Amino acid sequence: MSSLDTIPVATEVATGNVEPLLHEIRHALKRLASGGEGTTIDLTRLPLAPSEEERIEETLGTGEVRAQVDALGPTLIQETSYPGVWLITHKNVDDVVVARFIEVTRIPELLRSQQADIDAGIDRLEDELRN
Amino acid sequence: MPKDQNLGEYLRLQGVSRRGFLKFCSATASLMALPPSAVAQVAEALATARRPSVIWLSFQECTGCTESLTRSHAPTVESLIFDAISLDYHHTLQAAAGHGAEAAREAAQEENKGEYILVVDGSIPVGNPAYSTIAGISNLDMLKNAAQDCFAIVAVGTCAAFGGLPNANPNPTGAVSVSEIIKDKPIINVSGCPPIPAVITGVLAHFLTFGSIPELDSLGRPAAFFGQNIHDRCYRRPFYERGQFAATFDDEGARKGWCLYKLGCKGPTTYNACATVKWNQGTGFPIQAGHGCIGCSEPNFWDKGGFYSPISAGMWGTREQLLGAAAVGAALGVGSAIAARRRQKKAQETVL
Amino acid sequence: MTLLDFALGPGLKWSLLIMIAGLTWRVVGVFLGRWRRDLSRPRSEAVVQGGLRTIITRSAPARELEKNIRFQHITGYIWHIGFFATVLLFEPHIAFFESVLGFAWPGLPSHLALVVAAITLAVLVMLTLRRMIHPVMRMITSTDDYVSLIIIISAMVTGIMASTHMFPRYETILAVHILNVELLFIWIPFSKLGHLFFWLLSRYRIGSYFERKGVKA
Ligand code: SF4
Ligand code: SF4
Repeated sequence: MSSLDTIPVATEVATGNVEPLLHEIRHALKRLASGGEGTTIDLTRLPLAPSEEERIEETLGTGEVRAQVDALGPTLIQETSYPGVWLITHKNVDDVVVARFIEVTRIPELLRSQQADIDAGIDRLEDELRN
Repeated sequence: MPKDQNLGEYLRLQGVSRRGFLKFCSATASLMALPPSAVAQVAEALATARRPSVIWLSFQECTGCTESLTRSHAPTVESLIFDAISLDYHHTLQAAAGHGAEAAREAAQEENKGEYILVVDGSIPVGNPAYSTIAGISNLDMLKNAAQDCFAIVAVGTCAAFGGLPNANPNPTGAVSVSEIIKDKPIINVSGCPPIPAVITGVLAHFLTFGSIPELDSLGRPAAFFGQNIHDRCYRRPFYERGQFAATFDDEGARKGWCLYKLGCKGPTTYNACATVKWNQGTGFPIQAGHGCIGCSEPNFWDKGGFYSPISAGMWGTREQLLGAAAVGAALGVGSAIAARRRQKKAQETVL
Repeated sequence: MTLLDFALGPGLKWSLLIMIAGLTWRVVGVFLGRWRRDLSRPRSEAVVQGGLRTIITRSAPARELEKNIRFQHITGYIWHIGFFATVLLFEPHIAFFESVLGFAWPGLPSHLALVVAAITLAVLVMLTLRRMIHPVMRMITSTDDYVSLIIIISAMVTGIMASTHMFPRYETILAVHILNVELLFIWIPFSKLGHLFFWLLSRYRIGSYFERKGVKA
């Protein structure tokens, strides 16, 4: 039986959006390196051809850090082969991607322990010790 | 979620951490097509947001819009948004029907006077109101009654926004859009047949976050989603520029993913977010699947010639009509020749 | 009904009908009108050949005049060829012709068609300015010519703006472009632009007439 993959449909198209995106990342990195602000790019808002998202991922590669945050479904945080450039994939509880970002930062905000959570944690620990 | 609680408290009580909340805000900002830099602002607004009351009326429609919504691709985020709003009446989704349900609607309207959001899908038959009634109340009366005290109206789907299919030629029911009936309330047209689910929730999220009407285009559609046409964001655009077009659905061009303009793609004149937000869990959109855009988010898209005839072909009529024009021209020519001959003859006679 | 709906619907239909009726009216009227009988003895009987020959010979300027009108001659050709290339080889235009005629032909890549259109437009604007400045040209230019020039120049400008998306709302500029062309359709049969369809007929007529009289021109 033939599968869908055997139907020859070529999708090798370039929208020309990949290069500018990589340049944007380069500029953002330089800004970060010279002590400036970080940058976030929303990948779900870019008009990309079917193969281009993969091309971006390939170009960026994978770096040293990989983390998963479990809050309202898994969030995958991957540092790319360019330190300071992170690929963040938010999924919902059904493992479906709900949003994708490229963050140019020293550490993605989501990895930091949050003040509200720390406060809640202190409360819980104190409760624990009291009992 | 009790009504006086704000969203931040509610989520915390649900065991959602601050991290989870931030993730929710990022996804929501992305959903609303806001730049990532707005996430902090969204987080701040959402933490203290009050839950708006929503009344959803379904008129002459096919339920495709509700189907689209319930299949939206960000269930966690959407369900949180739906949790966060208070959907006090949804004719299609609720179990109750008839007079009891209507009483509940009226109670909700009374309780949230001036604050509730009225969502409408489907067009309103004004030719003969009996074409569509709920519990004996005509769509027209129900819309007028429910619109009276609302804060704003969201017209979901091309039927509610512009009349849609029921309004297509010859429009047997005399169907009209919401904006043709209600003139004194802000109306947000979330058009599409059906609209992209993320766009429906994006608009609701905007209310939830900012409690205000989003910026609209000239047709009353949220500019964040309808600001750009499909063609401008279409990944097949380079083929259009290069003049590489599929001429049939199974030729080489079609297989190579060339531009679908000649197969009737209405992308150049259609404003919607399909090319970026996409459909079916973000996997693609019609053009990506090899079919041209049919222009479903534009007014009267059913009556703009064929879905498969190129935009520039226009509706010039039939070859018979062109031949008819030639015949008329010929008749005129014969007429003026006869007139000229007469004139010449008379002139000659007077000379002689 | 939006502007574009009107342009693509009733506008297109009626302008085409008027153009076709107008053209047939002119041709039929001329053919059936009273032709003055030529009573003189013909110098030559080869009137058909004479007519056909003139169709060709009139495509180049007479040798005696060549030097004086070379500029006009060359720019005229560039403009006409460029114009037809733009009209007939831009893909969206082909899609229109295909819907009317039932067959299509290969076109140019859109950006190439755009370059051709831009060059053509530049030449046309230059020729128009010359027409307005040159004392002799000015004398032989009528309102008819100016109206034709305005309609064609604006059709080209709006066409270029539409295909480059230079105007914020594509459908608006597209509608303006199409309406502009519809105006051209209506204008053609009633103006000197009729030569678009009549040039062969009139050259043939002159050629055969001169042949009969033995005039070499
Ligand atoms: S497929 Fe449609 S939207 Fe995409 S480039 Fe072609 S005409 Fe434009
Ligand atoms: S691609 Fe066009 S027809 Fe299809 S859903 Fe989007 S706007 Fe509607």
